Amino acid sequence: MDSFAIEVRSLNKTFTTKQGFWNRKTKTTVAVEDISFCVERGELFGLLGPNGAGKTTTVKMLSTLLLPTSGSATVLGLDVTRDTHKVRQRIGFTFGGARGLYGRLTALDNLRYFAELYGLEPSVSSRRIPELLELVGLTGRGDDRVETYSSGMQQRLHLARALLHDPELIFLDEPTVGIDPVGARELRSMVKNLVAMGKTILLTTHYMAEAEELCDRIAIIKKGRIVALDTPVALKQHISGDAVIEVQIKNESAALVLECLHALGGQVSIQVIETPPLQSISIRTAEPGVVMEKLAPFLNPQLIQGLEVRNQTLEDVYVAIIQGDKA
Amino acid sequence: MRKWSLRLVWRQMDVQIRIRTLNWYTLLIFILQPAIFSGVGILLSRAAGNPVPNLVYTVIGGGIMGMWSGLVFTSTFDITRDRRDGTLELIVGSPTSLGMVEAIRTFTNVVAGLFSLGAAFLVAMLVFHYSLVGIDYVGALVSLFLIMFAMWCIGVFLANFIAWSRLTGAVADLLEIPVAVLCGFMYPVSVLPGWMQAISAFIPIRWALQALDASLLGNSSPTLLLQNWTFAVLLSLLFWALSRWLEGKVHDRIRITGELNSI
Repeated sequence: MDSFAIEVRSLNKTFTTKQGFWNRKTKTTVAVEDISFCVERGELFGLLGPNGAGKTTTVKMLSTLLLPTSGSATVLGLDVTRDTHKVRQRIGFTFGGARGLYGRLTALDNLRYFAELYGLEPSVSSRRIPELLELVGLTGRGDDRVETYSSGMQQRLHLARALLHDPELIFLDEPTVGIDPVGARELRSMVKNLVAMGKTILLTTHYMAEAEELCDRIAIIKKGRIVALDTPVALKQHISGDAVIEVQIKNESAALVLECLHALGGQVSIQVIETPPLQSISIRTAEPGVVMEKLAPFLNPQLIQGLEVRNQTLEDVYVAIIQGDKA
Repeated sequence: MRKWSLRLVWRQMDVQIRIRTLNWYTLLIFILQPAIFSGVGILLSRAAGNPVPNLVYTVIGGGIMGMWSGLVFTSTFDITRDRRDGTLELIVGSPTSLGMVEAIRTFTNVVAGLFSLGAAFLVAMLVFHYSLVGIDYVGALVSLFLIMFAMWCIGVFLANFIAWSRLTGAVADLLEIPVAVLCGFMYPVSVLPGWMQAISAFIPIRWALQALDASLLGNSSPTLLLQNWTFAVLLSLLFWALSRWLEGKVHDRIRITGELNSI
């Protein structure tokens, strides 16, 4: 048995599209560029990145829905381009959002249909479907049309569909997108249960708290390339010793404060978010004392409306990496 | 790959009927559209000086038109809907091939098209008092089966063609009327110019329909029927072979272009 559930080597995906009517021009978009990583069996691996970074394209290549342009990938020891049908029998996948279900059918009908596509015997599906509905908290709602379901319920039904054939490996692409906090928490709890059951999960998300709570390891992907890969703890140490000082300051004073902070040069990394009539300045630094000294003259309620010094979170690391200053 | 089974056929048909066919608007395609074609056919026939409409080429022809239109519209819509709803990639990503799903769906659409033909026969018998006396029943049933087989083969080919790209649906829609014209749904093919008859010779529906018309009119000879049936079967099999070839190409292409879930 292979030790890795997923093994990706120098995977690339380029989309080529034609644009224009008379004067046809070819446009090439590099969605994934030379990515390599491995996922252990039983691991919950997170793929983080902004919209358009290449997370979904990666998942679709690994789940055989897209052909890589070059490179190789194996899933459960099977090549995703050569052993397509064998891979499909052993993986499950969901893509975030309300799409991917037949709204005019009931949840039971949807599950029965997909159970048939996966070749489940009726005796197996008739046992498995109620179990899954219970697992995702939809017992008693199976006879309702899916179009009457909330986003959270649809997402849970997606999960049940992906688990119908008891796959060893599950791809969850932004499973909590568009779900309220309570629903998202329930879904995260279900994902944890799946890991406890021994499933391997590759999860994509751009919710940092979700990744931090769930993932054993995280790869951060930016413009199609993996720019960081480690455990959440190690990633936070990646920008070692840094603290984050967040300041809410009135617009009219912002320029003066920023000038003062910029004088610190490489000791600080500054991010400014306009939230009129205030500006939020996020200062990441290894020398919080020095920064506080600089800010001291402005520590006046008329100028600074709020100030917080805290340890770095995964989100800070993510922002730093995505903005490119630590990648 | 998942092998076909009666259970799979039944489940796919059940889903197809409930989400697509059991819908008043879709039923209108199967019933209202042939009624309109029949009505126009009867008016044209009267305008041409025929006091009694030719029932085979107007009423029954309208029914065949309904079967064909229903097939083209539903085949186009099914794939577009699956792309839009995100279910196409779930089907492609399952162990059952998209080709098999399309084959069963198209079969369902062809069977649903019998609504049109059934309605046309009812109108022919109840409104126009069309007599079934003198009909070659065996010839008519075999011909009808071959029309359905030909439509199924063409429908599966169209479904694969529509899956090929999100833009090909328009081309499939464009085929609706030309095929009806070329196959002589509402008139004998012999009235068409020679070059059009030559093109229509490649469409299996034309041959099966020619055999059906002859059987309904009671002027069929075994040789004529056999000749028409043979052409219908061979050309249908050609479309089926083309579908199988296209299916493999489609499976690769949609995974290269990423057009599984965009419309």
